[in-house]
Amino acid sequence: MLRYLKWGFWTVLIVIVGGFLHYTLPHHDIVRLTNTYNRLTTVGENAIFYAAPDTGTGESTATRDIRFIEAVFPDETVIVYRNEDTGWVWPPYFKYDSSNLQAEATNLKSTAAAPRWISVTHYGWRFPFMSIYPNAVNVHEVAGPDVRIIPWVNILVLSFLAMMVFMLRRMWMQFRERMIEPAMAEVGETWDAVDAKADAARGRAAGFFGRIGAWIATWRGKPRA
Amino acid sequence: MIAIIRLAVFGFIGLSVVYLVVSVYSRSERREKLEKQFDAGDVAGERDAYIEAGMQAYRHGLRRKLILLVYVIPAVVVAVTVYLVNYQ
Repeated sequence: MLRYLKWGFWTVLIVIVGGFLHYTLPHHDIVRLTNTYNRLTTVGENAIFYAAPDTGTGESTATRDIRFIEAVFPDETVIVYRNEDTGWVWPPYFKYDSSNLQAEATNLKSTAAAPRWISVTHYGWRFPFMSIYPNAVNVHEVAGPDVRIIPWVNILVLSFLAMMVFMLRRMWMQFRERMIEPAMAEVGETWDAVDAKADAARGRAAGFFGRIGAWIATWRGKPRA
Repeated sequence: MIAIIRLAVFGFIGLSVVYLVVSVYSRSERREKLEKQFDAGDVAGERDAYIEAGMQAYRHGLRRKLILLVYVIPAVVVAVTVYLVNYQ
């Protein structure tokens, strides 16, 4: 039972952390841009997957005018990106040029007859069921649909996170070794001393509370190391 | 505009916590190293004095100042991100 709980806990943790990273880290799609427009969009229960209301694109109302970019993958499946400022907190893209990005995307539109292949850097997910869209961050033209893009940002961020986990672990170990274990040892020694005293004073000391009193007495006038 | 100030303020508070934790850790590592050096037996003199002198040297050393990078690096990362996302 406990084993299943443990496995369940780790599975849930990995899914949450992995999902969070997958949502937040940038991805590259190589697509052909087909349309750019803005549309009044109602943001309700899915607000967590849209920009915060105070970033400038949607002040405090449930309905916002949001810019969208429509695109086609080489295999003819489609994708729709939103194009919103991220603001200054989360996710930390610090994007405030969505108007310019929309203009660039419009400029890079092409037809199936004369395709121009565009690498769209984006984060987020497309779930039609929840009406959520990935947020486009950058567009630039690439040579063809098979260009391989090395995800430098992801490599850097993930290595940094791994290093953080490693350092936190080391710091915790150091803290335990230098602070907690000596304190525990001291408490242990104190208890031994209390036991000895209690043995000597058995019959006089009032059991448990006598022990605590003796223990507290050992705090007084202890020489500092 | 308010948002960027808020980021700066809360970022500074957060990084100060990181700075504090890292400097405590670094000091602890140095003290442990000094203790082990002394206990290895190839140092003459008194233990406490040796460790105290070592910690004094640490306080004026470069390593302690390098911890200030905790503030510098995130600021540089934010600046680079802003440049790459908005001006490329």
